[in-house]
Amino acid sequence: MINAVLVFNNNGEPRLTKFYTQIDTQAKKELIGQIYDLVSRRPPTACNFLPLPPMLSRGAMSTVELGPSDAPTQVIYRTYATLSFIMIATSTESPLALIDLIQVFVESLDRMFENVCELDLIFGFESMHAVLAEMIIGGVVLETNTEKIVASVRSQEGPAAKRSIHTAGASMGRGGLPGLGGWR
Amino acid sequence: MLVSLLWFEKSLYDLIKGLRSHRTAEDDYIQSSLRECRAEVKSQDMDKKATALLKLVYLEMFGYDMSWASFHVLEVMSSSKYLLKRAGYLGAVQSFRTDTEILMLATNLLKKDLASPGVPNISLPLITLPNIITPSLAMSLVSDVLSRISHTHAVVRKKAIVCLYRLALVYPEALNVAWPKIKDRLMDEDEDNSVTTAAINVVCELGWRRPHDLLPLAPRLFDLLVDGGNNWMAIKVIKLFATLTPLEPRLVRKLLRPLTNIIRTTSAMSLLYECINGIIQGGILDGDGAVDETTEIASLCVGKLRGMIVTDSDPNLKYVALLSFNRIAGSYPRLVSMHQDVILGCLEDADVSIRLQALDLVSQVVTSETLVPFVNQLINQLDDEHQVFSDEYEADEGDMCTESGMSPKQYSVLHTGSSFLPKDYSIEVLHRILDICSYKNYSNLLDFEWYVGVLLRLVKLVPTSSRGNSCFPSWQGRNQGNIGHRIVSEIRNVSVRVKEVRSEATTAAECLILTKEDTVFPGVTATGADVLGPLAWVVGEFAQHLRSPRETLLSLMEIANTPNSAHAVPLSIQAILKIFVRTILAEDVPWDTQGRGEATILLTRITRFLEALTVHPDLDVQERAIEFLEVTRLAVDSIQSESHAADEIPFLLSSIIPGMFRGLELNPVAASAQRKVPLPDNLSLDEAFKKDLPGLFSSRHSRPKKPRIQSFTEDFYYLQGTPTSVEQSSPGDFGYEICSSPSYQNHTMRDIDGVAALTLKKAERREQYRDDPFYIDSENGAGNLNSIGPDVHGVDLDSIPIVNLGLEETGNYHKTPAGRSNPKAPRRKTKKYDIMSDEMIGQDDPTDLEDFNQTRKARSSLLQVDSSGLGQLPLGNDRRFSPSSHDPTRIGDDAEMAKAMQEVERMRLQMQRASERVHLEGFPAEGTLVKKKRGG
Repeated sequence: MINAVLVFNNNGEPRLTKFYTQIDTQAKKELIGQIYDLVSRRPPTACNFLPLPPMLSRGAMSTVELGPSDAPTQVIYRTYATLSFIMIATSTESPLALIDLIQVFVESLDRMFENVCELDLIFGFESMHAVLAEMIIGGVVLETNTEKIVASVRSQEGPAAKRSIHTAGASMGRGGLPGLGGWR
Repeated sequence: MLVSLLWFEKSLYDLIKGLRSHRTAEDDYIQSSLRECRAEVKSQDMDKKATALLKLVYLEMFGYDMSWASFHVLEVMSSSKYLLKRAGYLGAVQSFRTDTEILMLATNLLKKDLASPGVPNISLPLITLPNIITPSLAMSLVSDVLSRISHTHAVVRKKAIVCLYRLALVYPEALNVAWPKIKDRLMDEDEDNSVTTAAINVVCELGWRRPHDLLPLAPRLFDLLVDGGNNWMAIKVIKLFATLTPLEPRLVRKLLRPLTNIIRTTSAMSLLYECINGIIQGGILDGDGAVDETTEIASLCVGKLRGMIVTDSDPNLKYVALLSFNRIAGSYPRLVSMHQDVILGCLEDADVSIRLQALDLVSQVVTSETLVPFVNQLINQLDDEHQVFSDEYEADEGDMCTESGMSPKQYSVLHTGSSFLPKDYSIEVLHRILDICSYKNYSNLLDFEWYVGVLLRLVKLVPTSSRGNSCFPSWQGRNQGNIGHRIVSEIRNVSVRVKEVRSEATTAAECLILTKEDTVFPGVTATGADVLGPLAWVVGEFAQHLRSPRETLLSLMEIANTPNSAHAVPLSIQAILKIFVRTILAEDVPWDTQGRGEATILLTRITRFLEALTVHPDLDVQERAIEFLEVTRLAVDSIQSESHAADEIPFLLSSIIPGMFRGLELNPVAASAQRKVPLPDNLSLDEAFKKDLPGLFSSRHSRPKKPRIQSFTEDFYYLQGTPTSVEQSSPGDFGYEICSSPSYQNHTMRDIDGVAALTLKKAERREQYRDDPFYIDSENGAGNLNSIGPDVHGVDLDSIPIVNLGLEETGNYHKTPAGRSNPKAPRRKTKKYDIMSDEMIGQDDPTDLEDFNQTRKARSSLLQVDSSGLGQLPLGNDRRFSPSSHDPTRIGDDAEMAKAMQEVERMRLQMQRASERVHLEGFPAEGTLVKKKRGG
């Protein structure tokens, strides 16, 4: 199962934190810090797999030798423009499929916000949560079809979903997230 | 609705904008915002409340606690407007904990929303429940969720399925009722594709906990795999089959064709990868000869994996291919070692994740032939890395090291342009080199002289300030002890275990001590204490191998005086005297006036050193210092006294002081040997020594009676114990003789006399050490240690059960592949080394190791969702209960429920009042700040 989905920007400021277990605010913050630390050190050409951050490697055993367990064993990240998307999962998830899943998430957000950028996600963070809720519930993948995800969120929010954020100032830029090309 | 939407959007917008414009005084701004939120969230206006809540949720993301607002979360959840309700539910997801008291008040609301007509409204509790569920909540809601599984909308059905799974995790009984329904959804061929996928995902999570329950589903799963047409689902189905095939070997034959088909044809790399993985994990390659095509399949898989590494420039594929290789390596090292070239290539990859995987892999497939080149490659890599930073440390390597046959430095600058490697990686590599070399008690290592040289090189490669632990996953609990300590411990290990290189190892330790470690150990001076201890022990214990004992002695005293080495002081005190004895007794130093003078000078310095330590804060150090101080003073006296011939070493120096350090050779003892010593039957650890302890104190004036228990120990140590060999032999003739021939497993092994002589010797020795409590007899089971109690009491020795508690030091890191059991006969003829293995009582027994692992595993990981409850539950299909069933217990439950609800309502009112009171009394309204400053 998926244990957590995180989004943060290049400065490590969180944009979305979703943990499918209950941990306290302090631990969340610390874990995000550790993962940001790992992500920020990686060159853009590196692969999308992170070593387990110290907080998670405690008590976790090697995936290779032991069979499945409840402990998270993989941390996958993918960076789009200014944002990094992270998924923490157990061995029952396929690593490559998780990369795809991040792609689906970003594509859905792109569809929701029409050429999505970081600013959209800041101001539309409720919608971002809604999109994620259509994809993953309680750590189990629910839907991977972008159409269905977006349709479902739209049906909740009504036609006024796309909000106007053009007043937000040029300083933040509206570049959109490149690299949305298909993975598979 | 539109108006409200705009309104609260603006205010969240304001908060975010404010955050951005208050970069410098962000904390103050957040505090004031939290104060506002606190006021707003109590407002009667639901819109205002919801806005405040959203702001709180937003701030929670940055680490500001919002658990105090749980009651208001519940209020917003009960709003009639959907978007407000959604905000409330979001607040619940993000902030509720199982111990949130408000949760029990939510039950009714959740029930109501689950039954609401609109799909979005039903969805809200379904997506929220998994995050906030508790066993009691699950119990009261399971029937409501269950009924949603047959909702007309696919969206609701799939959410209900997933939600039920999480319910079952905390309340396993829910699975009893839910399982048939989930199965129905899965079996229904007309079901919406999304619902089937969701069901498969849930089943896949259940799969490894309860594979037996899933076997009946195999035909349906097979159909889904073959013509599901959905890669996501196919991946999960393959993963499921991988857990099922070990239970049902017949599945293998059936799966083989579709899987190879997919491998050959698919363009989706994720699916291809999972197919290969499924084949590996499902044990399909094992075959048992039932499948003729196994070899073909194996080479197909491995070939594809190789292709992923070689041809694809995608680093992700490289990584996962190595991951797969790692899985195969356990059972088919031969298959993997065929591709060693590409794997070694990955060791040079720019990406650290890939390097680490390759490192894992190579350390699994390394053999005695490949060990040396492989380690050399790694060291060279580190060398290149290291040179960039610190050329200055390269300069002086003491001449002594090169003299003593240390391997010459050979830089092959393979990748001069190598990118910067993180320090953690370097440390990990160092650890891994030691792992590989010491694996299974050095069974892969053929050349120990080379190894000692390697260790000396490694010392210099320890990155600076390597204080912290590696941030890479630690394998054998290695984050205890830093790498510097581990390296010098290896020097000690080798010196103890391998007699043939004892002198080299001692010289290495000497060399490190002489170079004063702050130049040798640029990286570990901060933790120098850890480093000095083992070195001091080695130079002391094997002082006869020292090249310049005098200098070593002086250097050791100097280092031990630095504040960093505080922990190594006790060991150093001991070592200093040992080395001193060696300087006196060395044959090449005549005991003339000069010799006497030098001895006196040394003794004076030692005395001064020890005197300083007599006031050491550490009691252990103090005690040792005082004891040895007396001894050295006596020694000084004896030199200066005129009572003996001038060319004769005083008896005290020649025999008595050396006698303190001579005795049986210290052999390595397994870490678990202590635990294997069986407890005597009559030892009761739970029983108090003295029932009336206060009475004992009050009557302390009366003559203390000697407790019986003490007399036992006294008997054992003072009466029964036969003198050890040291005391048996006359002084003078036991010295080096004992040191050089005590091993009972090394030299005797090579005796051509054969078994008879061997057993004879063994018997002799056993007789000799029979009563020595420190001699562990490997054949006699627990040996003498047993005799402590029983002999005194006349209990039959054999009646004591010998508990097998083996634990091998090599740990769990390498699952020993059966085919790779250490080719001990060296084909490449090098020097033959005898490596002492750990002494152990009885036989090594892996069960203890497993126990040990289990206790380690029991410490659960941070984000772990515990699903162990699912494993034990019996899934009786006959015992379905429906919510409407009218058994008497059910009625009782209802009454209880009603009572509980009343209680809940009462508490709700109470809490509401309490929250209002807090406001009135003007409590500080700030939110609790969890961490002072947010990152970035």
